[in-house]
Amino acid sequence: MLNRRQMFIRSAKGFGGLALASMLAEETGHAAVDASKAKAKSIIYIFNHGGVSHVDTFDPKPTLTRLSGETVPASFAQGLKTSRIDFRKAIMRGSPWQFPKHGHGGLEISTLFPHLSQHADKLAVIRSCYSEAFDHAPAMFHSCTGSQFPGRPSLGAWLSYGLGSENKNLPSYVVMSDGAMKSGAGAYGSGFLPATYQGTIFRSGKSPVLNLASPDKVTTQAQRETLDFINDLNRGHYASREEDTALDARIRSYELAFRMQAEAPGVVDISTESEATQKLYGIDQPMTADFGRKCLLARRLVERGVRSVQLFFGTNLGDDWDDAHNDLLGSHNKMAKKSDQPIAALLTDLAARGLLDQTLVVWNSEFGRTPLAEGKNGRDHHPYGYAMWMAGAGIQGGRALGATDEFGLRATEDRKSIHDVHATILRILGIDHLQLTWRYQSRDMRLTDVHGEGEFTNWLYQQKA
Amino acid sequence: MLTLLSAILLLAQDTPVSGRAVSIIEAKCQQCHSANVRMGGIQFTSSSDVQAVAGKLKTAIAYTGKIKMPPGGALAADEKQAIEQWIASGAVWTAPPKGTVTSSHWAFRKVTKPKTHTTIDQFISEKLAEKSWKMAPEADKRTLIRRATFDLHGLPPTQAEIDAFLADTAPDAYQKLIDRLLASPRYGEKWGLHWLDLARYGDTSGFEQDPYLLYSWRYRDYVIKAFNDDKPYDRFILETIAGDEIFPEDPESQQGTGFYTVGANRDMLYKVEDINREESLTDFTDTTSSVFLGLTAGCARCHDHKFDPVPQRDYFRMQAVFAPFLKTRVFLHYNNARGYDLSENTRTFRLYEVGAQLSAILDPHRTRLREARLAKLPKEVVDAYRTPEDKKTPEQKAINDANIKNIEPPDDEVYAQLNPEENERLRKIERRLVGMYRNYAPGPFSPGLTDVGRESPRTFVPAKAGSAPQEVRAGFLTVLGGGDIADPPMDSPTTLRRKALAEWIASPENPLTARVMANRIWQYHFGRGLNPTPSDFGTRAGSPSHPELLDWLASDFVERKWSIKAMHRLIMNSAAYKQSARPADPRSLEMDPENVLLSRFTRRRLQSEEVRDAVLQAAGTLNLKMGGRPVVPPLAAEELYGMSQPVNSAWIVTEDPKEHTRRSIYLISRRNFRVPLLEAFDRPEGVLSCSRRESSTTAPQSLSLLNGQFTMQQATVLASKMEAAPDPIAYAWSAVFGRKPTAQEAERTAKFLAAQTKNLGTRQAALTELARGLFNVNEFLYVE
Repeated sequence: MLNRRQMFIRSAKGFGGLALASMLAEETGHAAVDASKAKAKSIIYIFNHGGVSHVDTFDPKPTLTRLSGETVPASFAQGLKTSRIDFRKAIMRGSPWQFPKHGHGGLEISTLFPHLSQHADKLAVIRSCYSEAFDHAPAMFHSCTGSQFPGRPSLGAWLSYGLGSENKNLPSYVVMSDGAMKSGAGAYGSGFLPATYQGTIFRSGKSPVLNLASPDKVTTQAQRETLDFINDLNRGHYASREEDTALDARIRSYELAFRMQAEAPGVVDISTESEATQKLYGIDQPMTADFGRKCLLARRLVERGVRSVQLFFGTNLGDDWDDAHNDLLGSHNKMAKKSDQPIAALLTDLAARGLLDQTLVVWNSEFGRTPLAEGKNGRDHHPYGYAMWMAGAGIQGGRALGATDEFGLRATEDRKSIHDVHATILRILGIDHLQLTWRYQSRDMRLTDVHGEGEFTNWLYQQKA
Repeated sequence: MLTLLSAILLLAQDTPVSGRAVSIIEAKCQQCHSANVRMGGIQFTSSSDVQAVAGKLKTAIAYTGKIKMPPGGALAADEKQAIEQWIASGAVWTAPPKGTVTSSHWAFRKVTKPKTHTTIDQFISEKLAEKSWKMAPEADKRTLIRRATFDLHGLPPTQAEIDAFLADTAPDAYQKLIDRLLASPRYGEKWGLHWLDLARYGDTSGFEQDPYLLYSWRYRDYVIKAFNDDKPYDRFILETIAGDEIFPEDPESQQGTGFYTVGANRDMLYKVEDINREESLTDFTDTTSSVFLGLTAGCARCHDHKFDPVPQRDYFRMQAVFAPFLKTRVFLHYNNARGYDLSENTRTFRLYEVGAQLSAILDPHRTRLREARLAKLPKEVVDAYRTPEDKKTPEQKAINDANIKNIEPPDDEVYAQLNPEENERLRKIERRLVGMYRNYAPGPFSPGLTDVGRESPRTFVPAKAGSAPQEVRAGFLTVLGGGDIADPPMDSPTTLRRKALAEWIASPENPLTARVMANRIWQYHFGRGLNPTPSDFGTRAGSPSHPELLDWLASDFVERKWSIKAMHRLIMNSAAYKQSARPADPRSLEMDPENVLLSRFTRRRLQSEEVRDAVLQAAGTLNLKMGGRPVVPPLAAEELYGMSQPVNSAWIVTEDPKEHTRRSIYLISRRNFRVPLLEAFDRPEGVLSCSRRESSTTAPQSLSLLNGQFTMQQATVLASKMEAAPDPIAYAWSAVFGRKPTAQEAERTAKFLAAQTKNLGTRQAALTELARGLFNVNEFLYVE
């Protein structure tokens, strides 16, 4: 049977209810959502584009460092696939960074992230992530939608479907990227869910949403005049068709569009933020200005009731973590420098405003990087064991879950798939991942497919011994 | 578990208790659990088999444990009781199991044409009468021509067409209208698009690089032509699934197999050939079964289908049909193809030489200039530059990256160094290159599918805990009769498996094929199928709203030699289709909001391509040229944001501006990037087969039609035409709505123009605003 919400949306579509409901945020939540059990109202998901090396950031491997430069026994690479490494010639590479302990928990974080390290007690690191997707696009689809093949709804789309929106003038799922993404739009698409749940790209500049600005030379007054004209004709047309609420929804969509034209530019106008705040995010520094602005915008969006913000950090056409193929040091120094202070500032700022407890912050990547050397200076793609972290939402930080083997090659303890991560994220937002379904091709589809049994919400909220 | 039931049903047929139990089991369980279908792999052939699991059966129907049967919903209390009693009374096995599968699910039963009715309208009226409703009266002629033109052409009727239809008072005026619309090539462009949605068509293959599928468009053109030619649907199926095997001498027909080449794939990602092949096999199996059979076989890839009688073994029997697949090129003209390949071959060899000649002229100058520049740079920069790429330290690499612009001399500087003789040599090379590429064009190839040969790789059902992988033969779905596909003759160039599958599907005996297509045609006309899940005819699909009508249509479709155009005539000439959108009894709106019973015509918003095409037609800029390689229209920088590849390689704008205003079906369909206007109006992602489009209403959608560059460009064109007309307002109404404005509308518009002229300074700007406004009005964006 169709679940209640899908039934509502499907049947409502006939008379424009979907439009009305999702557009004006008048809908009741999905049956799978229990707001009273939600630990967070919103999520800020920082997706590191290109693949961050786990053994250089959140998963210290002293043995690897000790054996750095040694060749690898053949058994080592059995079953592994990477993008470029020739395993017959592979050698181990230790991390060039140190891993001091931080905070009360003594969490080890590499010297790549000096600012973030100060928040160590807020971070719950998962060191045992694994998948099999070793090329960017499939890995991004996998990480964002649960399937290596494109066409499935993204996490953000499922969240929009489940949670709806709190601010009717803003989209419920906002995506910020640096432009080109290795996956294309599939990583934030709606798949087989209605298009209304897909991520809305926010751009920097005065017109954050596509076509938000009136055409050139059309003044606000002229735009209003044209909208009034459209409205009058539509009302005349509607007068003899009042039974059809789809027509009414369309009329209202123009009003909403106009309100969005008025409100959205204000959201991205960060000049209203104090100088101290801007400085906190590093907006005054060229290296950190861009991502700092995005992190600050993320806070402003969450503050205004946007449920789901996803930041894709790095781009397919410029800087990203993937430059580690040829230059581990250069790429990771640069990318860490660009994002460390902004992310730390986001945590500081959310906490200072009392928002951190109701906001889940996730930091993840499509995969890690090989503990083996690629060429002289690089590391290749590595999905078999990698690290991510979560913070906020009342999570007990300063700890790490799971482990990879002593070389960082394979996740060994408490292995966590992306489905487990998704199940956990949904739970934190008050959603039972088994219940949030959409009937497609006769199956009740889930974000977690038939998996997610390794959900680790309980671990995140365990009090420290 | 239900296999148990089917066996049980044979046990105790001589008591009233067992009689009741048997009828329940026949109705609720048997389609999945007959002796042949064997869902769950359990077989019952003796009393002891049944008695051994009687307890499990009770738990399953109790609906409290992990296994709940039947999966679609629990049995009624009295039904459960009957079965429990029967088990309690011993559940004795008294009859041998049946030898053949007879599913009770309606869609798996043979299509039988009801003899009681002779028109569509009888079926519709009868159901309405149950509610004491009647069909709505016939819509007026203006509404009818707009509805029919959008349905068959995806375009609004022109003013001249409307006038001619209104003036034609002959009783068969409407019939003639339908005939005219069906005879126009615009028809194939509209209905071909429906098919391309199902075929998850794209011009690129997706994933990170999103490379071009260079010849996809030939398949698009093949589809358009097939619809325009009214190619019989059974023939179309044969060409799609096995054009190479069934019509080996006819390249035109082999183009159908392009169906299997236009989806997303990782063909150009190396090292993943194995994964890619697996994904392709999944895609081929799932798409074939959902598009042609309306069966969601995909579930059975991982386990026995939970709701439909498709055991996992059947899934792999079908997948085995495609196991030997090989993507190939169909040579549309053998000699041209050979000529094309030969000249490509020579050209490539010649280009190596041209490259060497260019280097010989340019490199000495480039080197000299570079050395001069290096001489002025600090030693560490020079050292960093001269250290071979794989020997550079990270610091050297950074230094080199930072300085490379100052080291490499720009082209202009190099060219300035050339002496007259070198310049002359360069010009000669340029002329030669231009000559080599003057007529450069796509070759005479279409993408297609064939087999690697007579032998196929083997196909296995994956291993499960405690069992080894099990090899399967290619074959048909057990629930529809089953059977293996025979080995091909020794001299066959292919396995002939797809031929067997194609013939099995394209048979009047197949209960699904005609039903599924008749239902699709119905859905595209009425907005909702008689079965509302057009690619799912399984047991979860529920019953159709008008089951007899669906069978009547399916039989008729076969009788009319699978002619799709005949189905359009049949449907569009019915009173049900010609109804007004306003019902006779207003209560039906509330009681039947989805219009399942068809008490009226369902108003619909234009599809994305229709929105764009209708704007172009209203502006008078629509270019009706057909076919050819995909058109890349110019987009605003803001719209191109988010392209996964550099814009200069991923969005190579078509040179000729006249091409930019062609119909939307001819625009490039990139897997990773949809034209934003089309995306906003629910154009599907083009990755999975799409059987029914969404019709959303969102603020970003309104923003894109209101403020987008396309709207403004077309509004400007329309405005200049208005300005040249004696009555601009009348001209606008005619172009956009195909009618005259009412006095009230004219007055309102005059007021608007005056205000906007004041706001914006010129009459031209005000008229542009008028055009922009009209493109956003519901009367323009909806069909009723």
